[in-house]
Amino acid sequence: MSKNTLVDVKNLSVHFPVHGGVFSKRVATVKAVDGISFSIDKKQIVGMVGESGCGKTTVGRAMINILKYISPEVEVGGSIEYHFDDGIVDFAKLKASEMRKYRSRVQMIFQDPYASLNPRMTVAQIISEPLQLHTKMNAKEQRDRVGWLLDKVGLQPEQARRFPHEFSGGQRQRIGIARALATNPDLIICDEPVSALDVSIQAQVINLMMDIQDEFDVSYLFIAHDLSVVEHISDKIAVMYLGDMAEYGDAQDVYHHPRHPYSKALLSAVPLPDPSRKNRKRIVLKGDVPTPLNKPSGCAFRTRCPIAQPSCAESKPEFKEHAKDHFVACPIVEKKALNL
Amino acid sequence: MPEQQEISLSILKKRWLKFKTLRRGYYSFILLIILYGLSWFLPLLINNRALVVKYNDEIYFPVISGYHAGSFFGQDVPGETIYRELKATWKAEDSDNWLIMPPYPYSPYEDITVQGNKMYEAPSKTHWLGTDNTGRDVFSRLCYAFNISISFALVLSTLNYILGVLIGGSMGYLGGKFDLIFQRIIEIWSSLPMLFVIIIISSIIRPSFFLLIFIYTIVNWIGMTYLMRAEFYREKSKDYVAAALSMGQSNFKVMFKHILPNSLVPIITYFPFSIVGGISALVGLDYLGFGMPPPTPSWGQMLDVGLQNISKYWMVMAPVGAQFITLIMVVFIGEAVREAFDPKVYSRLR
Repeated sequence: MSKNTLVDVKNLSVHFPVHGGVFSKRVATVKAVDGISFSIDKKQIVGMVGESGCGKTTVGRAMINILKYISPEVEVGGSIEYHFDDGIVDFAKLKASEMRKYRSRVQMIFQDPYASLNPRMTVAQIISEPLQLHTKMNAKEQRDRVGWLLDKVGLQPEQARRFPHEFSGGQRQRIGIARALATNPDLIICDEPVSALDVSIQAQVINLMMDIQDEFDVSYLFIAHDLSVVEHISDKIAVMYLGDMAEYGDAQDVYHHPRHPYSKALLSAVPLPDPSRKNRKRIVLKGDVPTPLNKPSGCAFRTRCPIAQPSCAESKPEFKEHAKDHFVACPIVEKKALNL
Repeated sequence: MPEQQEISLSILKKRWLKFKTLRRGYYSFILLIILYGLSWFLPLLINNRALVVKYNDEIYFPVISGYHAGSFFGQDVPGETIYRELKATWKAEDSDNWLIMPPYPYSPYEDITVQGNKMYEAPSKTHWLGTDNTGRDVFSRLCYAFNISISFALVLSTLNYILGVLIGGSMGYLGGKFDLIFQRIIEIWSSLPMLFVIIIISSIIRPSFFLLIFIYTIVNWIGMTYLMRAEFYREKSKDYVAAALSMGQSNFKVMFKHILPNSLVPIITYFPFSIVGGISALVGLDYLGFGMPPPTPSWGQMLDVGLQNISKYWMVMAPVGAQFITLIMVVFIGEAVREAFDPKVYSRLR
């Protein structure tokens, strides 16, 4: 762990109990996130990819500690250590009352720009809400700040008096970005910020986000399911499968030399606008993602893995550093690499 | 550069503008507001006490100051002054004293014990809707009862809404054990036979305006909780709530600043019908004799008396007509509100 680390996630697990029967007994557990570790440095962009339902969003929500509000029975294990300028805070262990003063440090951009803005509030009200909560700005300062933020995200300050329904999806997402930026956070968790947008708008929003990262010196956890987007924007990539981390490492390294069979399959599915590579091998995975209610024993990916071996069912694969800063959770690949 | 002049309208404002285009509901709304507003000034409009009396170079305001014995103004009657007769006497005498009566000079309480009042008088220029079995003026009772009915319904609905929104909203928002426990409480509570409870209570203690409201409220808030619970439950899972929470907004603020404004549709569309329910409830109770204590003017009691004297058509028609017109106006409002909140533009009401 370097000095530059902003947040260090260790062995994070998020379990949702499932109740059933007459007395609401606990009958099962959804292991949405099952022991993952990664870290984000200051001013770094970490991309997180994976199929839908693999726990990416849950990781993001765990990192801003709002899971308990959304479902009170959730069990969060492990630690999420933030290294702020004024001390180290573990969000996983923080009580709601202690959490409030750190809320301004970590913000979130949501997937659906239509649902993430309150339709009854004007843009000015939406963006100034975090200012009211975390700063002592008076009305005029807030207005100025809102105008300035709108200008930064490419909207006109005059549009502050409008309501969200008067904007397009891309513009709404810009409002969401402005809201996240309002309190100068250290980390912004971007939960699939562009998946709901047109491809042309996606590029604009991603470029905007990169510009903002440069200017505000903020870190991103960029959650997406589009690998090419993630590769374009990220310094590091984390690949998730069914609540587990499959691979984590330097973006170029993971993108061009994936080691985990799942990452390989995922990457082989990325369309490339390059005719010379037309004949590259496509790895098509068989079957569906198993339900997180009843995960396969050992390696969760073994039911669909092209190189699975009987030993994979026995124990959960260790998350090991195969190369410098490149972690892979697959002993088979490691053995192969060693044999070579 | 073209100047942007268009003003952004909030959703509620848009709906209000749409409501205004629905004539039937809008005019009913205006009329009802005016009538209800006027009904608070009924003592100045419909009363048997003079507004202003000038007697022996002194000015009196009996409407405000209250009881003045007949002898006080030199009138030879037992008890209170009969200002109508006093006015006639002074006019005939051509004296310096004068008084101004309200436009309709009959009170809802004065019966045959007051000189000059007769029972069962048919509608005429003096008694617009006749008099009832005790010689009280029907029109003036009708108007006072209007105020009481609407006030009753408004206070009742508002209280129900406050309780219903608070409890239902908390159930939907907090979920979990709180929700489970309150649902069971509500199931038990809602199985109370409400009418019997009211009949039993009002046979033990003499009911009053606020007691009736209290009794009705403790049972009636339940209906709103179902709606609010569902609304809050749905809205809670939307991302704007997660956004508000992630910036550190308190639960209370999230519930009432973020979720409630987005859950207003059932509240507002239901309100006029809740008023109808409130008015009908009071009429029903009064009709059965378990409502407001007797001399209070009320449509239910007038209906009861009217049905006992069914040959005197004005005694039946007046309360029935008043109720009909009031309720239908409220229903028109409700219909237009519903229409205004309907996202579809097509309307059969225009």
